[in-house]
Parts: sequence; structure tokens; C-alpha cells
Amino acid sequence: MSVTTREIAPDLDALQGAPVLVGRPDDQQITNDLFQPVWQATRRGWLALLGIAISLTGLLFFAATYTFVVGIGAWGNNIPVAWAFGIINFVWWIGIGHAGTLISAILLLFQQKWRTSINRFAEAMTLFAVMQAAMFPVLHLGRPWFAFWLFPYPSALGVWPQFKSALMWDVFAVSTYFTVSLLFWYVGLLPDLASLRDSSRSRAARIAYGIFALGWRGSARHWRHYRIAYLLLAGLATPLVLSVHTIVSFDFAISQLPGWHTTIFPPYFVAGAIFSGFAMVLTLIIPARKVFHFEHVITQRHLENMAKVLLATGLMVSYGYLVEHFIAWYSGNKLEAFAFFQTREHGPYAPVYWLMIACNVVVPQIFWWRRARRSIVLLWIASILVNVGMWTERFVIIVTSLHRDWLPSSWANYRPTWVDWSILSGTIGFFGFLFLLFLRFVPSVSASEVKELRRELEHEGHSLDAAASTHGS
Amino acid sequence: MAKTGYVLAEFEKEGGLLAAAARLRELGHRRLDIHSPVPLHGADEALGLRKSPVPLIALIAGVSGAVGGYLMQWWMNAVDFPINVGNRGLHSPPTNIPITFECGVLAASLAIVFGLFALCGFPRTHHPVFEVEGFRTASMGALWLSAEVNQGDEEAVAGELEKLGARQVSRVGANP
Repeated sequence: MSVTTREIAPDLDALQGAPVLVGRPDDQQITNDLFQPVWQATRRGWLALLGIAISLTGLLFFAATYTFVVGIGAWGNNIPVAWAFGIINFVWWIGIGHAGTLISAILLLFQQKWRTSINRFAEAMTLFAVMQAAMFPVLHLGRPWFAFWLFPYPSALGVWPQFKSALMWDVFAVSTYFTVSLLFWYVGLLPDLASLRDSSRSRAARIAYGIFALGWRGSARHWRHYRIAYLLLAGLATPLVLSVHTIVSFDFAISQLPGWHTTIFPPYFVAGAIFSGFAMVLTLIIPARKVFHFEHVITQRHLENMAKVLLATGLMVSYGYLVEHFIAWYSGNKLEAFAFFQTREHGPYAPVYWLMIACNVVVPQIFWWRRARRSIVLLWIASILVNVGMWTERFVIIVTSLHRDWLPSSWANYRPTWVDWSILSGTIGFFGFLFLLFLRFVPSVSASEVKELRRELEHEGHSLDAAASTHGS
Repeated sequence: MAKTGYVLAEFEKEGGLLAAAARLRELGHRRLDIHSPVPLHGADEALGLRKSPVPLIALIAGVSGAVGGYLMQWWMNAVDFPINVGNRGLHSPPTNIPITFECGVLAASLAIVFGLFALCGFPRTHHPVFEVEGFRTASMGALWLSAEVNQGDEEAVAGELEKLGARQVSRVGANP
């Protein structure tokens, strides 16, 4: 099916916008279109990308092993900048993950129809991003082989973790978030895994998908429990996603360092997380939509709505920057003023700060214009710039706040080493590797939900027609 | 226990399927099921299914998880291994909030998912209905009705389903 949105764009109803599903394909058509990437032969482009991703993953494992052997000294961290790439990348990755939960859970509760075609994609992104994120604090432990000490288990040491520490809150928040995201994603996949089992042509695929489908028969008895379970998981995931980035922001906010010690942090971190996550969804979905010819299920409407979310969350992030500066001035605290008006704008890392302002404050403003929201190229470029901007934001928060400490005698600059850069690029590769496997082995758009969406739209169409006819008579 | 077999029937329209299920129930058949690629409105009523217990399971697990999480922190930090850090109170309710919340969410989510599996009888990768090759379409677009019947009743039920307008009817032999 190759209906492009451009063909239907000119005669749009201004209030309705582009449709969330182009045409009314029947169930068979939806199954065929959406399962096409799974059943088609392996493509050369996919293999090439997989090769790149595997090489970067190799780099990650090499750099991580090097860190294990040599120790944290292999990284650029120093005193006072003891938290550097490890935490920047942790916060960046986990923030990216948040858009997935927002799309799949919060938009489900708000009954936003446009979430249907992009939720599976975004949830997969969440899972893989959280996996990258969780790696950093563990590597940063210094002795990562004792990571299990973080969990409260009865040990011969007779010691328990200290729950007054925000770092313990992180352990619980991140592990809960990963578990719940995985369960939510898997439960959502069940009907499609059953369809894959039933549409498979080889015995091996039938057995493999059959095992993962757990015996799903689309039975009314299954659906009865399934629907409420899915809704409840969404209801739980919604406060969970807000809590996770709030807790991440507590790592900073409950300390007393100027630049960290602010009450705006929890909402501003959550907004930033959604901002960067939507940017990452756009970065990934725009090429995938093109390659797999999913233009009729991931329509102009989806992209435009995501651009609007980018604009809205971008404004919230900008408001966060503004309030931080206002409070620094209003408090009359010299150290706060020094952190916000001196080191950030004029210190050695000023270029990073101004890059952050350009990417996070200025770039999203283009989405006030419909033309920009509808330009796929502009959207894609802007989404990458936002990802860069959000990474620099975490760099600014962590490095610029730490490198000019209370005493000038303890000031020091920070420089990442090749190990830091290798681990960062390695996680991007590992993320890409997992994502490529996802695109190849699982339908990236939920066929069962699109089928349901089509029925809902048909039903609405009928009631609209009925309303119009009674109006006319 | 009497040996049972399955009768499967494919229907073209949702209405016909639901009416057929209701009719078979009237005739006294209770072990019926409807198979569809998406949840059907009215299926629960046609089969006489009661409300799902999943919300109750979630509530019990969530509350227990949260209470357990709180007690864990209190017992570990204030009772079993007290450490005086800068003379801060050993039992500190505000700092226990995040982990209490996370434990509640984790327990509720695990209970929802494993409760769902238990209620659906998962994993059960083999089931007599899979014996019918045509049943493969049930997960993709077709609407099916399945009836578990006592051995010997297959013909009567199959005939009834054909009368009710089924597009195709298949029988799965008795299984011990």
C-alpha cells in the first residue's frame, strides 16, 4: 500500500487535521502491511546498520572492560567533578526512555487515538534506553562486581542499605521502571505474537513465536482480563514515569550545591525527559516510517502532534531555566548568583551552555509554524538538535555546577577521556543494535491495536453520518 | 470424567457470532468461547462472563507492596541496623516515601501480569483448537466460536452452528 499523506493533504478540514489512519484497510491488509518487515527477507541496509551497531557495541564492551581492569581513573572524573559522564549519560538515557511511557500510558488514559501507531515503537525505545541508562551508575560504582550490594538482601555482613540516600531511591526507581516497562511492552505484544505465530510460514518461526505468545487464542476470556490489565498497567505506569525522573532529579536537588539545590528540579526534569524522549522517537520513527512504508499508519498527524509536544515541553524546559535564574537573583545568595550568572554564561564551559540554549530554547520555536511541523526534514533535524541540547543540559547541570566549588583552591576543570567517549558512543551503538533487532523480529506498529482503531474510526464515521442525516431531515 | 471434543465455527459478522453464542448458551452449552483479533463488545454478555478479578488482585498486591516497602525501610534502618548519621532520626517517614511508592507499583504490576497469566492459563502453547488449520485466522481477522462438548454431541452442535449461519464448521476429535 503506498498512499502518501501528501495526496490527501490539500482538502483537509482545518479543525480535524490529517487522519490518524489513511484509508480503511481491512484486517488482512493491516496484518500484511505491518508484518511485512518481519516476514520479508533480510535487507542489505539493515545488515549494514547492524554491523555498525555491533562494532560500537564492541567498543562499549571494550571500554567497560578497560574500566573494570584499570578502575574509574580511566575516566576523566576528578575532584571536584566527581560526577561526570557517568551521570550525564545516565540522566540523558533515562530521560529519553520517558517519552515511551508517556505515549503508551498517559496518552492511553487520555484516549488519544494518535498514540496507537507509535506506542510499541516508543515503548521499545524506553526499554532499550533504560538498559543503557542503568549501565552507567553501575560502571561508576568503582567496584561494579559488588553492584548487588545495592539491593537489600540478608547477607553475612549483617548490613542493610541506607534508605535515606537518594542513590538508593534511584536503585528502586530504575529497577521498578525497567520491570514495569518490560511487562507493559510484553503484555501489549501478546496478541501480535499470536498473529505472528499464526501467519508464520516456517515451523521454526511458528514454534519460536508460539512460545512467546504463551498460547494466546484471542479468546473472549483472555480479552476480558487483558483489557483491564493493560489499562491498569497504564494507570500505574503514569505516576511511575513521573516519579522516576523526579527521583533522578532528587539526586541533585536534595544536595546543597549551587546549581543543583533548587525546588524546580523535579517538574523541570520530567518536562526535559519528555522533551528529549519525543525528540528521540522522531529521530527513529521518521526513517523507519519511510523504509517500511508505514506512511498510512504513522501519518502526518502523528508527526505534527509530536512536533507540538516538542514545542510545549521545550517551553516548559525554557521556563525551568528562567526560574532557576530568577531564584538565583531573588535569593540574594552570592554563590547561587555566581553559579547561574557567572560560571554558566561566562565560564570555561560557556560554549556548551550556549549550545544548550540554542538547541533547547531556540530550535523548538520553529514549531509555531505549521510549515515547519509538516516538513519531515526539518522535524528530523530539529529532533537531533534537541537530543544534543538535552545532553548538553545534563553536562551543564553536572559539570559547570561542580567545577567551581565553594573554595577557589579546589576548582578544577573536567575533560572526558577516550574511555568516556567510547562508552557514550558504545551505548548509542548498543541501543541501535537492540532497536534494529526489534524492527526485524517484532512488528513495530501494533497490528491488533490498529485493527481496533479502524473499528473505532468506522464506528465514529457511522455515527457522524447518522447525525448528519438526522440533522438534514 | 467424560471425554470431550471441540467444535469450531467461523462467522462472517460480529452480530451473527454473538447471536450464535447466546443461542448455544440457551441450549445449555456452557463451555463456549469466542476468538477474535480484537476485543468484541458484547462478547462477555453473550458468554455470560463475570467481571475480571484483575483490579482486585492489583489493589491487594499494590497495598501490600507499599506497606511491605515501608516496613522494610523502617525495620532495616531503625531496628536491625541503626546508624546515627549527623543525629538524624533513625525512622524518617519523608525519606521513605519514594521507595514505598516504587514497591507498591512494582508489586501491583507484577501481580497484574502474573495474575493475567494465571487467569488465562498461560503459558499453554498447545490447545485442541489449534488442531484446526483454519483457526490460524482467528488472531488475524476472522471471528471464531469454539464449543467444548461431550463426546457424541459434536454432530448436534455442529449442525446447530451451521443452522446459525456459520461460514465453516470443524470438529476436533475427543481428547482424553
